Amino acid sequence: MSAEELGVIRLSLQVALAVVALSFLPGLLLGRLLARWGSRWRALVQGVVMLPLVLPPVVTGYLLLHLVGRSSPIGRAWYALTGEHIAYTQGACVLAAAVVGFPLLVESVRIAMLGVDPRLEQVSRSLGRGPLDTFVRITLPLALPGVLAGCVLSFARALGEFGATIVLAGNIEGETRQIPLAVHTLLNVPGSEAAVVRLTAISVFFSLVALLGAFWFLRRGERRLASG
Amino acid sequence: MIRIQTRYRRRAFSLEVDSASEGPVLGIFGRSGSGKTTLLHILAGLIRPDEVLLEVQGELLARRPGGRWSAPEQRRLALVPQDPLLFPHLSIRANLTFAPGAAEELESPRGQRLIEILRLGALLERSPSALSGGERQRVALGRAWLARPRMLLCDEPAASLDPELSREVLALFLEAKRELGLPMVFVTHRAAELLALADDCLVLEQGKVIAQGTPLEVLAKPKAVGVAQLVGVDNLLRLEVESHDEAGGVTLMGLGEGLRLATPLCAHPVGTSRQVGLYAEDLILCRERPAATSARNALPARITSTDPIGHEIVVTLQLGREQVRARITPSAASELGLSGGQEVVVLIKTTACHHLSG
Repeated sequence: MSAEELGVIRLSLQVALAVVALSFLPGLLLGRLLARWGSRWRALVQGVVMLPLVLPPVVTGYLLLHLVGRSSPIGRAWYALTGEHIAYTQGACVLAAAVVGFPLLVESVRIAMLGVDPRLEQVSRSLGRGPLDTFVRITLPLALPGVLAGCVLSFARALGEFGATIVLAGNIEGETRQIPLAVHTLLNVPGSEAAVVRLTAISVFFSLVALLGAFWFLRRGERRLASG
Repeated sequence: MIRIQTRYRRRAFSLEVDSASEGPVLGIFGRSGSGKTTLLHILAGLIRPDEVLLEVQGELLARRPGGRWSAPEQRRLALVPQDPLLFPHLSIRANLTFAPGAAEELESPRGQRLIEILRLGALLERSPSALSGGERQRVALGRAWLARPRMLLCDEPAASLDPELSREVLALFLEAKRELGLPMVFVTHRAAELLALADDCLVLEQGKVIAQGTPLEVLAKPKAVGVAQLVGVDNLLRLEVESHDEAGGVTLMGLGEGLRLATPLCAHPVGTSRQVGLYAEDLILCRERPAATSARNALPARITSTDPIGHEIVVTLQLGREQVRARITPSAASELGLSGGQEVVVLIKTTACHHLSG
């Protein structure tokens, strides 16, 4: 395997880890909110959160570009603050993959939280534990397998992200070119079939491991809730 | 000790309660859907009604409108739910010491005595899934107790257990009440639990209080037809243990005027007095003494009154120096030709006599 290919793989893993780190807390809070919120606005919020799952990723990338691109208010404010642009950077890779994978995380968290008997939380409150304490001691541990499964899914989705990334982050070698972009590029380069096969194999391997991991967490979660 | 006034509406259901009790145990009685659990959740602060005034041991916990509202965790009113609802990811020890300060309480002499009463010592390191239903309910009671609450809020803690276990759990509540003296609000739909445990009670029907007072007043002399239909007409007698017949499997208890009631063999010492519960439908009335019967008790009694309540006739009898009530159908009453002053024989199976602790 060439140094270039190793670089591509390393970049892909870095971006995917950063995606999980960036979206974990918002995903946790939003999943929790959507699981227990009784308001009629819930459906709308849920729809907006789920949108990237059904939108063509290229469209998501295009919308993100308008939101954080150089001429957008957010892009300009970021530039004024840090002296750097968001679009066409590794940060843009993380942002694109985080947005596209976010629905998977939120939905996993939401379903995991729905599986926690709210009466357990009520008992916890009546025993003198406040809302945050109850969340940390009861809700989160019981929902943890589902939450972790959501993290693994969003990690795997980030590894596979192509459409939104190519629009928002481009295909810059050594900067934003990850496994899917590298495979796409190599397909147009004569004589690089071996490299394509290697990257494809790596891609299948990572995805499979991630999915098996997610299923393992989910099975554990079912067992944990069933034993209560 | 506890004072609650509230008005709460939710869709078609409305709850209206105005009650005060000196306790220490306030029973809330009613069939399912009568609003018992809703009332308990209002006490716990899990439901926020528009109108509520709640005072526990002289402290104002909620007044709306008027602004005062304590969150559930500030009220120190610990729930003992119907399903024990142990935290499934925590060991029994971690469940018991879940509340703030409960770990120290567990180590104190009082906490150790509680563990002894509830027989939790051997269970501490186990997981909730390894416990039986009765054991889980014991842990739930211990967990609430160790939170050092002002009061326990018990939501039919024995209802989901089979009859034998439910009696056992009830006995534990009684022992805990006697020895550790913590006030409780105790929700139940079983008259026997109310009689055994509660000092005061209120009867809920469709969100309204239809009777309140001591359990004896409310259950033994139900003024309202609704209460009578709800509770059945039951008898609670305080009788003296006269002798034990171990071979015969009976304990004889004095009814006065030389009459004795054969009850299931118990371990209470001779000379002590004990409560015996008798369901009114378990009393059989005969005009004459039958030649031979499996019922160990065939006792002469005199009818003092017959009252139609709902579709049934409640017959009040003088049995020795005790008053008991029997519930029979109108057809049985007319066939027997019952009337006030008449002498009859009452048949009672030994197993229909229930020893109640307390």
